[in-house]
Amino acid sequence: MQKLARNTRRPDVQAALIGVGALALLGGTAILARRKARLAPQRKVQLAAQTMGASIVADSAMQHLRGGFHNPAMYAAPALATLSTAGTLARTQAGRPLHVAAIATGAAGLSFHAYNIVKRPGGVSWNNLFYAAPIGAPGGLAVTGALALAQRATTRGHGRLLAGFVALATLAETAEVALLHYRGAWHNPAMFTPVTLPPVAAALLLDQALWPRPAVRRLTRGALRLMAAMGVVGTGFHIYGVSRNMGGWGNWRQTAFAGPPVPAPSSFCALALAGDAALDLIEDAP
Amino acid sequence: MNGWADPAPRAVDGRAPDVFSTAGTVPMRQFSDRDAVDFAIVGTGCGGGVLAAKLAEAGFSVVAFDAGPFWRPLADFASDEREQDKLYWLDPRISAGDDPVEFGQNNSGRAVGGSTVHFQMVALRFRPEWFASRSRLGYGVDWPVDWRTMWRYYDEVERACAISGPVNYPWGPKRHYPYRAHEVNAAGQVLARGAEALGVPWAPTPLATVSAPRGKSPPCVYRGMCKIGCSTNAKQSVLITFIPRALDAGAEIRDLAMVGRIETEDGRATGVEYHRDGQWRFQRARNVVCAGYSIETPRLLLNSASGAHPHGLANSSGNVGRYLMVHLNDAVWGVMEDEIRWYKVPPSMACCEHWNYIDDKDFDGGYSFMSQGPLPTDFARMLVTNEGVFGDELHRQMALYNRMAGLKMVGETMPQADNRVTLADEHDDLGLPRAHVTYSCCDNDRRMRRHARDFMARMLAAAGGSELLETGSTAHLMGGCRMGNDPETSVTDSDGRTWDIPNLWVCDGSLMPTAGGVNPSMTIMANAARIADRITALAGRGEAERAHG
Repeated sequence: MQKLARNTRRPDVQAALIGVGALALLGGTAILARRKARLAPQRKVQLAAQTMGASIVADSAMQHLRGGFHNPAMYAAPALATLSTAGTLARTQAGRPLHVAAIATGAAGLSFHAYNIVKRPGGVSWNNLFYAAPIGAPGGLAVTGALALAQRATTRGHGRLLAGFVALATLAETAEVALLHYRGAWHNPAMFTPVTLPPVAAALLLDQALWPRPAVRRLTRGALRLMAAMGVVGTGFHIYGVSRNMGGWGNWRQTAFAGPPVPAPSSFCALALAGDAALDLIEDAP
Repeated sequence: MNGWADPAPRAVDGRAPDVFSTAGTVPMRQFSDRDAVDFAIVGTGCGGGVLAAKLAEAGFSVVAFDAGPFWRPLADFASDEREQDKLYWLDPRISAGDDPVEFGQNNSGRAVGGSTVHFQMVALRFRPEWFASRSRLGYGVDWPVDWRTMWRYYDEVERACAISGPVNYPWGPKRHYPYRAHEVNAAGQVLARGAEALGVPWAPTPLATVSAPRGKSPPCVYRGMCKIGCSTNAKQSVLITFIPRALDAGAEIRDLAMVGRIETEDGRATGVEYHRDGQWRFQRARNVVCAGYSIETPRLLLNSASGAHPHGLANSSGNVGRYLMVHLNDAVWGVMEDEIRWYKVPPSMACCEHWNYIDDKDFDGGYSFMSQGPLPTDFARMLVTNEGVFGDELHRQMALYNRMAGLKMVGETMPQADNRVTLADEHDDLGLPRAHVTYSCCDNDRRMRRHARDFMARMLAAAGGSELLETGSTAHLMGGCRMGNDPETSVTDSDGRTWDIPNLWVCDGSLMPTAGGVNPSMTIMANAARIADRITALAGRGEAERAHG
């Protein structure tokens, strides 16, 4: 019989298909695009640090504002992310202390967030991992600082080191995404994409770091470009996700904070860009 | 007078309200009173709503009646405690016995979707042993259904309602909830702290409100008025889950249609007499299903007495209306050092089933208890009626409202034949006899109440509560037309088919032979889903009254 009334039984397959289609289009274009006016790897790393930094600035500011900045230490993350990101604009040694401070703050943030989890009733439990301070989020600030420092990478060895770092950062990011998308009950099938594609890219990058074989490098670049496209499409999904909260974007003062974090997926673009820079160094640097 | 200010019927002229809109409608199949539909279902809550959807999906022609209105939550529900009184069944019933039951928000809904429109969304499963409590635990009576069968249907209805529950539930056989549990609020964390202090497990409560988007349901906004009418559609009531499915599949829903009698002829039901839009009408049906819950189902069967059935329909054993059960709903409240604001988010975010799974205690049965979040009027009323608090003292205690926490039990009472529904001499506005409900607690019930109050008080104190006070209440209804294997001691068989009339069925909480120590909604829904499949299977074998219209 013809379906007469809308109900809520099925997952959001339609939106997932649109998103996957957009990813295929954008990712395919990115993979096939010829590298004409190629950026220097140092410039790519700078852009990666800035993209990651912007994502962390917006995300930490929003989430800590949502938490009412009830602990003054919560100002540190957006402040250091802003300073470190601004510091990358001048590619000089002057920004180095800021980047180191960002790394230290990120590391300290991991401890703060871990404490926030274990101090609640239940300790390390699914509910606290879902809803207490996000366990891996401060790592993004440390990655921002590290990428900012990596702007000065010049050698093939630097490239391999950077490839390994980006691979591990990608895996850490994937773990965080997996946790939060699991919390969201995978209500949209497209939510599986950022937990399947990035590990593939990370594995290929890790392979390049350990055994920099040219034959695999092209495949690795393709995977990274697809991951970058996923960051763009993912941002679209998160914008759509906010609209699915009560009141949608018309009620943005609540929904933008309660919905999926809009700035978060762009961090995959940053990691993809940094990974690409690492491949450039492995390929071309002395 | 019933005091209801109902809108006009909305499911009319082949259209039904679109529950996901503020004013829209969706197409609805419509049947003539003269056409004998396969199933006339009386009630659209946990029993009737689930049954209507599944039978329509199986290809049967279905008309489901509800005495209440067909609401559109986005337009009709407001975040105001008193405004939602319209969702309760407040038409007077005569309440008697040593412990007369209070009716209304605790146990009776009146709307398409039934009590689920205003329930507190707690979605717990029975302990497996309860389905054979006489055989395995030595009290009550066995269900005519194996727990493993019920377990499969719990899975089904939990998926249908996208229950948000813990990844690892500490009690009973493993289960998997389709959505993740909600964040435990401050009131829930009080229970958690107390449980950890006393060394017993606790868990985020499985709830029928989504923690992530689902179709047209946005995730819960934790506004805290959802214990009445959820105005965002995050609550997965029968109104927004099974009723749209029923409409999809071609069922007709008739709102504001009060069924007064079931007619019979030659030992078979022939249809229902119902009042709608100011007139009495008669719908012919090949099968009639009573799904009006534990008061209205016995009332309807008893009021349908005829020459051939002088004591009411399906009542040759005299069991219609008997073995009515409630849940003890006593609570302990305390003042906390920190601000709690318990009204935020669904009221019962954390639960403890410890005493449902431990049998070393001085009473039979079990009880669970949950953190609480009563809204201001409700709490003030409780203080006045239970404690006699008034004047300046009431003002002082209500000033502590934002710093209070509470634990409230859902305690299993024993099935007793004398706890029953009969017809009163008094009549309602439609000329139907009102229900007369007699209820008395037994010694076992009282022992359980003492045990629970003591344990909850110790837990609340361990969590830092002070100025403890206790209140007594009841919630939920079960029994009244229980199912069983013996026609002498039950009203229906395990399929909900009445022993006396082959095409008369019961499908709601009145079937429950025992009450269990958890909120009954999931059990009623699972049982209804099971009965729907049984009816479909029986029809496939030619053993049910099936004929497509």
